[in-house]
Amino acid sequence: MDPAMGMGLVALMGAAATVAGCSEDLESDIGSQSNPNSQVQLAAQVGYPHRIFNKAISGEPPSNAMYCAVGAGVAMVLMSESVMSASPLIAIAIGAFVAALLNGVFATTSYMGRSASQTRFNQYVYMDVLRNQILSLMGHAYITTFCIVLLSYVMWNQHLINHPFPFPVIALIWGLCVGAIGSSTGDVHYGAEREFQDFKFGAGLNAADSGNITRYAEAGIRSSLDNAWFCSKFGGPATGIAFGMVVFLDNWRSTAFAEVLNGWGAVLVGLAIVILLVIYNRQIETYARKKYGPYPEYAGDIEA
Amino acid sequence: MSAGGPGGEAVSAETANQVDIKGIGVGLVGIYIAGISGIPYLAFLAGIGAIFATKMGADAVRRVCSYGIGTGVPSIGMLALGMGIISAMFGLALGKMYNAVFIGPIVGLVLALVIGFVVGTLANKIIKLNIPVMERCLMEIAGAGVLALTGLSVMIAGSMDFVVISEKVITTGYIAPVFILGALGILHPFNASLGPDETQDRTLVHAYSCGAIAMVIGGLCSIAVIDSIAGMISIVVGLVIWYVTFMGFVKLVKRDAGAGYVGTGLLPPGAM
Repeated sequence: MDPAMGMGLVALMGAAATVAGCSEDLESDIGSQSNPNSQVQLAAQVGYPHRIFNKAISGEPPSNAMYCAVGAGVAMVLMSESVMSASPLIAIAIGAFVAALLNGVFATTSYMGRSASQTRFNQYVYMDVLRNQILSLMGHAYITTFCIVLLSYVMWNQHLINHPFPFPVIALIWGLCVGAIGSSTGDVHYGAEREFQDFKFGAGLNAADSGNITRYAEAGIRSSLDNAWFCSKFGGPATGIAFGMVVFLDNWRSTAFAEVLNGWGAVLVGLAIVILLVIYNRQIETYARKKYGPYPEYAGDIEA
Repeated sequence: MSAGGPGGEAVSAETANQVDIKGIGVGLVGIYIAGISGIPYLAFLAGIGAIFATKMGADAVRRVCSYGIGTGVPSIGMLALGMGIISAMFGLALGKMYNAVFIGPIVGLVLALVIGFVVGTLANKIIKLNIPVMERCLMEIAGAGVLALTGLSVMIAGSMDFVVISEKVITTGYIAPVFILGALGILHPFNASLGPDETQDRTLVHAYSCGAIAMVIGGLCSIAVIDSIAGMISIVVGLVIWYVTFMGFVKLVKRDAGAGYVGTGLLPPGAM
């Protein structure tokens, strides 16, 4: 392939991945999936019944893998010659729509099921919470699935990157990946930062504070859409950049250095990227500890 | 108290033996009719078998996770299909090797039960989780995984022949949605009902509806693999089962939530 064309495809995939990462994180924040979910789930038990969407579709990596695998599977059916040889863009759009419908069904059952399973703690099942949130969830899931299935298609298509794995399997793997990154990057912003921004650095977390995550927002009782508003300022974009970088750097090294040293060039560049990122992360961590810690009560190393 | 419930043995109206007999019985019968008859229009029966197998797995997840495995629920579902896919493919390949296609699902099931027993024993004796139902539940989960995976694969391919399945389901990649929907069908019903007031009938009706979703998507894939009529039959049957069980789930949510099922409203008195 022409190198310029290859770089263009890599850039397109990176851009699609950035959008997907951002929308994936916001989707999970609206539904309080993953990191904050245990706090929302515990809230009623520690005396704080709430009006927050409790979407537990197994944890983000498998649920996003499901949307993306289904989206790619449906797109592949539509594109196959024995069915209708649909154009890829339309097929991917329809596939993502089917995946968004599944997201709606699974989100509905988990909200209703989990709330009804906490009746003894006075937790109500609010239909308006379901109705208000479900379309934003499905909309974000649609964007995520569309972008991931699109980048998987670019990877799989034999005229483009020509990856040897089947299309739905590539989408499954990228779905797992975006879920894992959303869960570890963006959700921390909602699950920890949103609730504990007034706590002292390194103060630790008392389990009894868990329910606070469902209490007050900037105005009135907190709702799931407030969380999306809050997280769209930092958590969502950070997830997008993280996932976009994963997709971009990975494809960049394997496209640009494929010919170097008989393919080993790409491996070495990958290794170098990982080592650089590890050093950079360590730098940030020690910088933050020095700048913001230790918290006032801290008096040197305490023997266990 | 665990996030998953009071901890200890789960309360059941339908006993484990009843669920297992239905799951394995209907599962195998469905797979065999669809696989051996050679009539593509009967392929949907394998999907119905997969639904019952999914329910069996969901019930096993429910029983083992009621011992307080909160965040481990999704992991157990993925473990089920991990064990399931190895056993299913081994069984079908062995059947092909000995030119006896019909032994495939049974060999797969037996192998899954053995793997499940070994994993359960490891978890209980070596890692010392000490959950009394662990071995049995992991055997059921692995069995459910293999039946759900074989059922959906046979439904998509319309055949029990390993060559056909590997060419039409695995190489094309349709195995990806089948794998993940099968896993979610087993883990999602209990995970979505996690809490002390979880009830067995609600969880199991939800398992039927998750299995039906997998059947609908499998039917969609089989349009490209077998033909459009066989695929449409699977989709329509799956949609009907999904609608009925989903409405049943909503009804049971209303029953369990009681006065707490409200259109809108403030937080309950004393909550602020």
